[in-house]
Amino acid sequence: MKRIKVIPERCSGCRICELACALAHFKVNNAKKAAIRVFSIYPSPIIRTPIVCRQCDEPACMEACPTGAIRVGEDLVELDQAQCIMCLKCVEECPYDALFVHPEVDHPLKCDLCGGSPACVAACPTGALELVDGKTGPQPLLVKGKVEYENMKELSPGADGPGTPVRYVDGGKVIEG
Amino acid sequence: MKARGGYFYRVLDVDLSTSRIRSSPVSDEFALKYVGGRGWGARFTWDNLRPGISAFHPDNLLTIAPGPLNGLYVPGSGKTSFSCISPATGLYADSNMGGSFGTELRQAGWDALRIRGRAHELSYIWIEDESVEIRSAAHLRGAGATTTETEIKKDLGEDVRVAAIGPAGENGVVFATVNTDWGRNAGRTGMGAVLGSKNLKAIAIRGTKDLPVCDVDRLTSVAERAYSYLNSHTLMGIWHRQGLMSVIDYANTVGFLPTYNFRDAHFDDAEKINGDIMEGEYKIGNSACFACPMCCGNVCLVKSGRWAGYACEGPEYETAAMFGSNLGITDFSFIVAANQKCDELGIDTISSSNLIGVLIEAIEKGMIGPNEAGLDVSWGDEEGIMKLLEMIADRSGVGDILAQGSKGMLSKWPQLSRITLQVKGLEQSAYDSRVSLCMALAYGTCDVGAHHNRAWPISKELEMGKDWGVEEKVDLVLYHQSIRPLFDMLGVCRLPWIELAIDENLYAEMYSAVTGIEHTLQDLLDRSKAIYDLTRSISARLGVRRKDDYAPPRTFEDPIETGPFAGRKADMATYETLLETYYQRRGWDLETGIPKRETLIKDGLEDVAEQLYRELGSLAGVG
Repeated sequence: MKRIKVIPERCSGCRICELACALAHFKVNNAKKAAIRVFSIYPSPIIRTPIVCRQCDEPACMEACPTGAIRVGEDLVELDQAQCIMCLKCVEECPYDALFVHPEVDHPLKCDLCGGSPACVAACPTGALELVDGKTGPQPLLVKGKVEYENMKELSPGADGPGTPVRYVDGGKVIEG
Repeated sequence: MKARGGYFYRVLDVDLSTSRIRSSPVSDEFALKYVGGRGWGARFTWDNLRPGISAFHPDNLLTIAPGPLNGLYVPGSGKTSFSCISPATGLYADSNMGGSFGTELRQAGWDALRIRGRAHELSYIWIEDESVEIRSAAHLRGAGATTTETEIKKDLGEDVRVAAIGPAGENGVVFATVNTDWGRNAGRTGMGAVLGSKNLKAIAIRGTKDLPVCDVDRLTSVAERAYSYLNSHTLMGIWHRQGLMSVIDYANTVGFLPTYNFRDAHFDDAEKINGDIMEGEYKIGNSACFACPMCCGNVCLVKSGRWAGYACEGPEYETAAMFGSNLGITDFSFIVAANQKCDELGIDTISSSNLIGVLIEAIEKGMIGPNEAGLDVSWGDEEGIMKLLEMIADRSGVGDILAQGSKGMLSKWPQLSRITLQVKGLEQSAYDSRVSLCMALAYGTCDVGAHHNRAWPISKELEMGKDWGVEEKVDLVLYHQSIRPLFDMLGVCRLPWIELAIDENLYAEMYSAVTGIEHTLQDLLDRSKAIYDLTRSISARLGVRRKDDYAPPRTFEDPIETGPFAGRKADMATYETLLETYYQRRGWDLETGIPKRETLIKDGLEDVAEQLYRELGSLAGVG
């Protein structure tokens, strides 16, 4: 299975991936019509990251779909727009909140890997997105509206610091430019 | 010819006094003539100008206008302008905000948001496409700007964009900011205090609309050229690692790093507060405005010591220089802490640190009595400076005097005018202009005060301008004052141009693709020049004359103490020559500095000329 691997340590939060996705699929300048969404969270935790479909091996969205519009294909989890009845069960059941909706679009926005050469990966200026075959390793997840990522660090505040511990993604030395 | 993209042709009007909310049409002719962003803000401010409307008057119209390239697949398209009469200067001002806030306003289908009036209780405006409401923010009184953003997102969702003020804005600090995306501010000229005077704590937006573009293929293809130019630039590596923080070493080496309230232009301990320190010990990530590949924001965290736990987007050069060398601070941890404190309180890092520097020098030299300041604060005094920031925000003790900005402080302590680095009431940015007459002229003639936003000719003059004559110097300032504000009209960032030298003609091509009407760069520069004449006309109606166009006294009177330019100060006679040449080139009257009637007519601003000269006619000695 091909997947987009997200590297939050490299993400600047610029949202060029959203623009590239919407341009590739709808030929419009509208970051809200993207199947990838950037979340920039401060001050707790401190993380900037895209959230995008993980192309699960056993997709909960497929299980939830009453019409069989979602299938595990050769290289990705496919959504057949013609069979979609816009019941949004897949959006509700995705454990990672990685399917999106837009009021003008008659199907959920789900990553289709652009047929094998994702526009978002090509457009990312900091290398925060990679197309990989198979495993991605730990990934940032959106769970009930909150971003979780196991590779976060935690710091205790100093004597005159802000009082609460800081959780953060440490990406200070990752971008090569 | 009618544009086929770039505009929704409607402005959202919110009157907080009456709770009246309406959509106002904008004509095609208006849209193209004033382009957008600062251009629209300036014209709306002109139209709203009446005697007695000062910054904190409910009728002071605040325009938030992103511009026609904002939100598009265009490098750095996350910029938006806040325009109104400034409480710091009492004149026209606009302040530019990055992040994604302006983009969200455009995506909600609005070219601009205009706010007037004063809400009966602390409120915020909630915009979701066409649905607009005014909500109570009473529960957020006194909350920090970044805390307010977090709290509103808890109610409305993580994906909404929020611009908010902190306690300083609520309390009328004349250099209060409007903050978005944690650390992107409409930072200068006191926009946060204008929101505060309207009892407006925040604006929250969620938009979903396609942005109007005439020729998407053409725009995409030009944008691809722009993006690939930037992404393959040889300086992109250092830029991603340090952003504007690399300027500290450059400024110290060439000799314009503000040091001890601009007494000196060289700091012996600069290597303790420079880009290498930031990158090596504090940086935890990059942060970018919308659609920008340059991500100049360095996210910093203090990991040890007393300030551990403070984190912010930044500091960038201005803040590091002004809270560092300019205040004798050698601990970068404190600079991060002060930056975050300013973001949370909602105050401008440049104006606050500038004024604190004046206070420290005044106390050191005995220019104000020990009891007058009410506290002792000295160079490098971290606790004292941190305490002052809080006193400014809540307007206690001497903080109340600083909170009134240069104008307020100098009316209380006129003896400090000699050591206060300000023009028109706005405090000078972090570039010492004694080494660059172009920079001195830039500060003197910037329409919002001593800010580097309109022109930053210092590096080019230092590198290439050694043998330049007066005309070449003036032409450089004038070119900057047209091209840089043009970026603020289009709604994009100027850094791809000033830092990585992208071809500015690309922006004219992108604007042509968006509107479907061919524009050359010169066409757009002409519109930008016209807007400069318009903002000058606003200020002329409010009393600005030639006497207000001088760089601060220290520029001409006190020589630099150490470093490569020790002994250097600017020559007033040469400055006068530059200023006169500048007026001639602009078509402004040599004696008064007011735009001539024929200049405004050439700009296509006949009605402005008519009204300006009708009003000035009633004043003696002005023509």
